[in-house]
Amino acid sequence: MNAPVFQAKDYKSELKPIWCPGCGDFGVLQGLYRALSSIGRPPHEVAFISGIGCSSRIPGYTTAYGFNTVHGRSLPIAQGVKLANPELLVVVAGGDGDGFSIGGGHVPHAVRRNMDLTYLVMDNQVYGLTKGQLSPTSPRGLETVTSPFGSLEEPINPLLYMLAYGAGFVAQATPADMPGMTALIEEAIRYPGFAFVNIQSPCVTFGEDDQQLKAHKAKQKSLASLGHDPSNQLAALDLARAYGTELYTGVFYRNPSPPPTYESLVKLRQTEQAKKARPRNQILDAYLQK
Amino acid sequence: MLDDLILGMAGAGGDGVVSAGESLLSAASSEGYHALMTKSFGSQIRGGESSCRVRLSTKKVLNPGGALDVMVALNWDDFFKFGAELPLSVDTVLIYEEKAGPPPETLKARGVVPTEVVPVAIAELTKKSAGTDKAKTSVVLGLLSGWFGIPSEAIGRGLKKKFGSKGEGLLEANEKALASGIEYARAHPLRTPHVISKPKGPPGSKMLCDGNDMCAAGALFAGVKFFGGYPITPSTEVMQTLTREIWKYGGTVLQCEDEISGIGATVGASFAGRKSMTATSGPGMDLKTEILGLATIAELPLVILNVQRGGPSTGLPTKPEQGDLYQAAFSGHGDVLRPVLAPTDVEDTFKTTVDAFNIAEQYQTPVIILSDQEIAQRKEAVDLIDTSRMEIIERRAPTEAELAEKPYARFALTESGISPISHPGMRGGTYLAAGIEHNEKGDPTSGGTMHAKMNEKRFRKLEPLKQRTDLFELSGNPKAPLALLAWGSTAGVAREAFQLATAQGHDVKLLVPYLLYPIAEQVYAGFFESVKHGLLVELSHQGQLYRMLRMFIDVPKGLKSFCRSGANPFQPAELVARLVELKGLPS
Amino acid sequence: MTNRQQQTPGIDFAVLTLKDALDLAVLIEEEARDRYEELAAQLVLHRTPGAAAFFAKMVRIEELHRKQLLEERAKAFGEQPVAVRREMIFDVEAPDYDEVRSDMTTREALETALRSEEKAHRFFVSVLSHVQNPEVRKLFEELRDEEVEHQDLVKKELAKLPDDDRFARVDVGDGPAPQ
Ligand SMILES: Cc1ncc(C[n+]2csc(CCOP(=O)(O)OP(=O)(O)O)c2C)c(N)n1
Ligand code: SF4
Ligand SMILES: [Mg+2]
Repeated sequence: MNAPVFQAKDYKSELKPIWCPGCGDFGVLQGLYRALSSIGRPPHEVAFISGIGCSSRIPGYTTAYGFNTVHGRSLPIAQGVKLANPELLVVVAGGDGDGFSIGGGHVPHAVRRNMDLTYLVMDNQVYGLTKGQLSPTSPRGLETVTSPFGSLEEPINPLLYMLAYGAGFVAQATPADMPGMTALIEEAIRYPGFAFVNIQSPCVTFGEDDQQLKAHKAKQKSLASLGHDPSNQLAALDLARAYGTELYTGVFYRNPSPPPTYESLVKLRQTEQAKKARPRNQILDAYLQK
Repeated sequence: MLDDLILGMAGAGGDGVVSAGESLLSAASSEGYHALMTKSFGSQIRGGESSCRVRLSTKKVLNPGGALDVMVALNWDDFFKFGAELPLSVDTVLIYEEKAGPPPETLKARGVVPTEVVPVAIAELTKKSAGTDKAKTSVVLGLLSGWFGIPSEAIGRGLKKKFGSKGEGLLEANEKALASGIEYARAHPLRTPHVISKPKGPPGSKMLCDGNDMCAAGALFAGVKFFGGYPITPSTEVMQTLTREIWKYGGTVLQCEDEISGIGATVGASFAGRKSMTATSGPGMDLKTEILGLATIAELPLVILNVQRGGPSTGLPTKPEQGDLYQAAFSGHGDVLRPVLAPTDVEDTFKTTVDAFNIAEQYQTPVIILSDQEIAQRKEAVDLIDTSRMEIIERRAPTEAELAEKPYARFALTESGISPISHPGMRGGTYLAAGIEHNEKGDPTSGGTMHAKMNEKRFRKLEPLKQRTDLFELSGNPKAPLALLAWGSTAGVAREAFQLATAQGHDVKLLVPYLLYPIAEQVYAGFFESVKHGLLVELSHQGQLYRMLRMFIDVPKGLKSFCRSGANPFQPAELVARLVELKGLPS
Repeated sequence: MTNRQQQTPGIDFAVLTLKDALDLAVLIEEEARDRYEELAAQLVLHRTPGAAAFFAKMVRIEELHRKQLLEERAKAFGEQPVAVRREMIFDVEAPDYDEVRSDMTTREALETALRSEEKAHRFFVSVLSHVQNPEVRKLFEELRDEEVEHQDLVKKELAKLPDDDRFARVDVGDGPAPQ
């Protein structure tokens, strides 16, 4: 039992969260501190990128380098960070609206490029920050300020999306199970490639009663207890279909032989091309017409 | 002997006139000529009509020039499609494919009919000499070489490069075609000889490149390590060049899923401490606006190239226009001061790009380079640029001692307004970058007092830029009452107009700003002091710089805007005519 | 999953030493203290002074317990290094994050504390069935009983509360503020 170099509190910043008391994001933040401490990278080697939303406030509450960017663009920005400095541990976080509505177009591309990023979505099935409008994961029929007579749309299924796009690590968690969620965040960070955790993180102010942590506690079923084998992608797809009805937690899919990451291939290319570099003052010679 | 020769060619895409123009350009440049080429196509992706203009000179070429000295038409229809882009004068030598028949009435209807009109049985000559008609343009090159003195050895070397690795016999066929063209020209001398003088520079001393090449090279020279972008005409070549080159220097290009992602990844890379850039054009620029604001408030260095094309919307994707200045300066919400630079030709695109990186890094701000389709895509033979005195500026990072001494404040309110910037990986430098307003430490705030202070800081840090007289080109008598102003590709025409007007004895001066925004009030005020009459020439419907100047400073009453929509290039002579006209008006 | 596994993954109570047990107890109080502190801060930020004040009081109480346990530990084991870590425990006595709401009443805050003491009690009951070391048993039995005492204290406080919170502040106050 060796003491870790960094304790959970070392990742906690002085900034006080402005989330509503009771918000699920508090638990996520706590779990994240713990996961980071288990991993043990010093805060200054961690870059924490988010979009806009209640959930996207999270980087400011850590002592890591944080970038609270604009709505929906955390994934592209995080990819730039990772490619600029692959040594960094890059965590991306945001809400369901941020990730699957305005930022939805970026998701498949982030997945297929397979950089070593961990993407945590705090899925509360609602727009928290803008006060309770429909989100892309809101269930059909949900009554909100923008759907006073009930939503007419089917929600998207983040788990199926990610699996279909080919993500190497797809998991779901809830802060109703703190140890389970913490372990999943840690495992996602350790996965060498693009890893996604859908965290069902209730909005106490605008969320439905049956989406609160108490309900989660009763509803949650761990995939391990169902005997699911996380290397079985087809079984994962099948189980993921229950999003919105069942609350399965754990790893849906973990690629048993993770392919090389984008940044490792970049490194190879850079090494192979480096010998062709010209001194700075000869860069223009390439254009000389002999 | 001529010092300057402007040639045009038009034909069907399959004839390869553009490719012939390129051969001509590369032959001329390898011999040491200054040269410039522009090309134009129909809207078909492949196989439509195409044309090119090549201007050769023993001196620096300032612009593509006006009326052609030589025009080669492989057929009339394709030639007429290009209308004003291939203007003739009475002095033009008009060479055409005999098979196409004599010049139709349309030519007369256009007003000028050249006195020397030369039919040549180009197809037949090709067939006879090369055994195929697939080498027509080599016959044309031979004619041009024979009649106008363009060195045939250089053209021959070019053919070797171009066809050496292609189908067997193709090179030989083209060599034969070239020889037959040369021979034909010798046997049929023109009425008035038009031979170009020998170039002044030694062979092998010229670079052959376009503006997009020079932007990419400038970025590499400045130390770019990351490029994120999405293809869009006419900026794509910058990404394509960097994708070949950047790896050698330890960098990366990411072809993103859209322009938002392009600038997003670029901002991310800058946050992570690397010099980074993105490039785009009109519609792509529209998409980038939100993240430009993010880079401004998070004070992240960033270079954005906008190769202007005709707008709005898809507009004229392959034609130049100077209609994006307002956007560059003012797009996005909030109070923003974002430097905008504009190169004026192929060569200075290099230096302008280096300047853009330096300004971005020094002042921790996004910087927009406003190029345009003409500069970006015209191929030019220019002297090798002397980079020995070009400085490279790196962003100011906090030192270890500073970080150890007191808690790091990323946005410290310093006297200069520039606060040392850390990056992930730097111990003791952690902070929150954000789009939300922040205090000195970087923590979010919505307080009016802090917001005012930060706005003031973000503006104040850029004040010194306005004193950068090196970002302005001033020619002529500083006390002259007559003035010409132009920016971007239009400056090339203005320079020639200035020379013309001076030669005609007018007391005139020329100002070409490379820094378009912030408006350098004092530089302009100094320039305008002596000015009674002047012309600000811009290729846009509104004349955006003219209006912007009036927004920030008092311009002389006699300063007029001379502007028109894109794809309607100015000619030096018309600028001079306007100037002379102005002179007659009361001031 | 049992409570025990959920709240202390990775700790094997069958082989737990007295030193580790004491350190664990200290950490449990520390976690509760820190959580009450966080919750109090949240409620101060959200203008819920009654509940905030009560949670601030809980901070002092938990800190007191922690100090007492620390002293005990120091007497028995001096400067010997600590082997158990905060990362090994999850919300043993600390209230869950979703226990609180802005505009919650003082009564609700007390009920939160009560539920947390009950939760801690259940925890000790559950782990006791695994503990074999007699000294550790004794310690945990004491702690379990203390939880009952704490519950009684809170219940008494609850009884003393004036009956003024029939109307919830959420029903009369402003709605959430736009961002
Ligand atoms: C371009 C843009 N459009 C709209 C908004 C307003 N906005 C901010 S957060 C948000 C949605 C937040 O929902 P979600 O991403 O689910 O995060 P949550 O607050 O629920 O955690 C919206 C619409 C914005 N900031 N930027
Ligand atoms: S509005 Fe909802 S998501 Fe936002 S802080 Fe409050 S509870 Fe959390
Ligand atoms: Mg949401």
